This record gives sequence, C-alpha cells and structure tokens, in this order.
Amino acid sequence: MSLRRKKGAEVEETLKRIQSQKGVQGIIIVNSEGIPVKSTLDNQSTVQYSALIHQLVMKARSTLRDIDPQNDLTFLRVRSKKNEIMIAPDKDYFLIVIQNPSA
Amino acid sequence: MTILYFSLHHFIIEGHKGVIGTIIVNSEGLPIRTTLDNSTTSLYARLLRSFTTLARSAVRDVDPQNDLTFVRIRSKKQEILVAPENNFLLIVIQNPSE
Repeated sequence: MSLRRKKGAEVEETLKRIQSQKGVQGIIIVNSEGIPVKSTLDNQSTVQYSALIHQLVMKARSTLRDIDPQNDLTFLRVRSKKNEIMIAPDKDYFLIVIQNPSA
Repeated sequence: MTILYFSLHHFIIEGHKGVIGTIIVNSEGLPIRTTLDNSTTSLYARLLRSFTTLARSAVRDVDPQNDLTFVRIRSKKQEILVAPENNFLLIVIQNPSE
C-alpha cells in the first residue's frame, strides 16, 4: 500500500475504534481553517459543530497564551447537561469527539 | 446558599495536592474569593469568564435546551477547570499531571 493509502486506512481504523466506544455520538476531524475533513455525523451537524468548536479552540488558545505566551492547548473538554465534547488539537487538525457522558 | 456551596468547594479543593489556585467569580465578573494574587486573579477571571460565555453559547447554539456544566482546558503547563453555577464561576487551576 502507498504511504498515503496506508495512513488513510489507519485514520479510518482509529475513527472506527473511537466510534465503537460506548456513548460516542459523533466524531469530526477539522483542519486548521475550521473546515471539517471527516465526520460521522450528518452534514448540518458537522458544519455547525465545526464552526462553533473552531471558534472555541481559537479562544481557548488565546486565553492560554494571554496567561503564558509559552503555553499551549493540549486538550479541551466541554461538558453540558446532554453530552460532552472532547477536543484534541494537533498541529494541522483537531479531533472532536461528542459523547454521552453517562455511558 | 450558592456562595456557601462555593466557599465549601473552594476550601475543600484547595487542600488537594496539585491545585495551584482557586477563584470564585460572581455574576458581575468580579472575583469574590481567591487564593492567588490580585493581578493573576483578575486576569484569569476576565479571560475565563469570556471563554465560558463563548462555550455556553456554543452549547446553546447546537441545542437551546442544553446548558454548559463544566469546562476543562488542559495545556502543557497546567489544567484549568471551570464550573459555572447560577452565573457564578468556580475556577480551579491545577497541575496537568494530577
């Protein structure tokens, strides 16, 4: 398999693994511009979550940098009554997992 | 009642290892309890109040029936926990390794 296809397959496998965890409602991968590149949710939800969370990640990053310019975001967890959104930022992308917290 | 609840939380949390500081911010955004110095407190209070507002509106935008209950911002050097309650905010800053 070419490197690109191998990596693509790895990503798919990882997504499947996360998706199979109890309580996981959706997974979205968003690029550095806030554009969703992969999602297990419908289009509308994907676009909505991506935009809102991109904004939130930017805000979390600037909050941390205002406190300490040397510091950076490694993980973000937003819990609400109905679910929990976990955001793992990376260099070029961020991974969003929406789950049911009680599961 | 909420203030009492928060004060208890505040003192109990402060006893935990790894906690760098705790701040309680009232509905007007004013810190009413803190274990940190004034300027650090003001900075955290202002920034986290702003962040929490954004997080809450994001949650409500997706589902107006839903509401924010907790935020955890993890970074290389520390972890910031924010628990909103009745327009007050309980902020805990701790070591990320705990």
